[in-house]
Amino acid sequence: MASAKQLLQYKQPGKSYDVIVIGGGLHGLATAYNLARYHGVKRIAVLERRYIGFGGSGRNTEMVRSNKRAHETLPFYKESLEMWDGLSAELEWNLLVQKKGILALAHSDPELAAMRMMSDSQRRAGIEIEMLSPQEIGKMVPSLDVSDRPALPIFGAQYHPEGGTVHHDAALWGYAKGCARYGVNICVGVEVTGIKVNGEKVCGVDTNAGYIEAPNVHVAVGGYSSEIGRMIGMQFPVVTYPMQVMTTDIMDPFLDQYVASPRLHFYTQQTLKGDLILGGPLDPFQSWNSYTTWEESSDRAFKIVEYFPDLAHVRVVRSWSGLCDCTVDSAPIMGGSGIDGLSLDVAWGYYGFKSTPACGKYAAEYIASGQLPEKIKPFALDRFFNRQLVREIIL
Amino acid sequence: MAFLINCPNCGRRNPYEFKFGGESKIAPDQGADMKAWSDYLFFHENMPDVQEEWWFHSMGCGDWVKIKRNIATHEMSEE
Repeated sequence: MASAKQLLQYKQPGKSYDVIVIGGGLHGLATAYNLARYHGVKRIAVLERRYIGFGGSGRNTEMVRSNKRAHETLPFYKESLEMWDGLSAELEWNLLVQKKGILALAHSDPELAAMRMMSDSQRRAGIEIEMLSPQEIGKMVPSLDVSDRPALPIFGAQYHPEGGTVHHDAALWGYAKGCARYGVNICVGVEVTGIKVNGEKVCGVDTNAGYIEAPNVHVAVGGYSSEIGRMIGMQFPVVTYPMQVMTTDIMDPFLDQYVASPRLHFYTQQTLKGDLILGGPLDPFQSWNSYTTWEESSDRAFKIVEYFPDLAHVRVVRSWSGLCDCTVDSAPIMGGSGIDGLSLDVAWGYYGFKSTPACGKYAAEYIASGQLPEKIKPFALDRFFNRQLVREIIL
Repeated sequence: MAFLINCPNCGRRNPYEFKFGGESKIAPDQGADMKAWSDYLFFHENMPDVQEEWWFHSMGCGDWVKIKRNIATHEMSEE
């Protein structure tokens, strides 16, 4: 029987706050939650113009892993992955964390060699990774065709046992509940239309519900960061691309792992409900429109049937897309914006979901202390001017 | 697909025949400082609005085409 008690109540925004978080997605809520719970900030508002979780938070493919190569960023992703484990208990809300393992397939010898190199980097950072032969893959995932029938047969795979999935809506509601418990005002339908800057210092935001004063404004707007950039007269080093995802009919459980192919750009998992979630690459051109196309859907379908031949008659029932704001070095932008009190948490591209717990922790630490924590130093906006881009080779 | 690209050589074609070339920008002069080059290389307008942009017709005539497109609605502005 469902609880009659309301999970949380949305609030009308007040006149002034200590911290305003723009964006009621996972990152925004996680930051507000951490600020309220661990840094004792009392008056926090999360402003969301549509509904919480409208953007990337509810449109991703629920994959959590630490799969990058650059040594600056690996500890961050590793910590984030570990933080998911304790989060259900902390938030007192079941996030359906399933560390079911991720298989990244290789389709040629050079690719296998590159994967070994990546695995070594990741192992050095303490991430659990092993290489599997086609026979081992076949044993692990019997439905996967490891023979040499596909045009690009499977040569091997990188197995990441700690990776898996987390239910994104559960995570969202868990954080929202946590925010409400620690007194954060979550205001939906409140759109920020301008950011007031006095000299070098931010002093508040204009919204459709009037002017709200705050000495600290945190930007966690997901794929919509450039709109905030325009409000403060600056550009961000991002380009927005949509990413399309689709789901299939519900089937009996047959796939335990998350299977991905970095080369062919497809990845799939079977959810608890039984449907397959099929993800793929970003769309090949810039757009702010959440459309889905026949070209991308058929491409995903073709690839999945190539490697899972038994799925040939499964129907696609739904597809959607979400916006990803991507930087050139596959790393986000966190920390200061050059304006005192205005902190950034943008440009998360297509790797924002898995980073949520660590991101909330460090963004809150930065807002509370004013010092950029060591782990997110490589993500500072300055890197684009100092020629210190994150040396990431994996897109 | 919601829109077609008007290639001066091939007519209206599916955008998947093209390679997207990004926002049209003006390159800094040879002697420009690092800041100007950083702005040019990494920073983008990226607004949900009409944008002038480059497309390369890789599966067609092999020419670079400059078009104006509203990237929020995919509406094309005709010249």
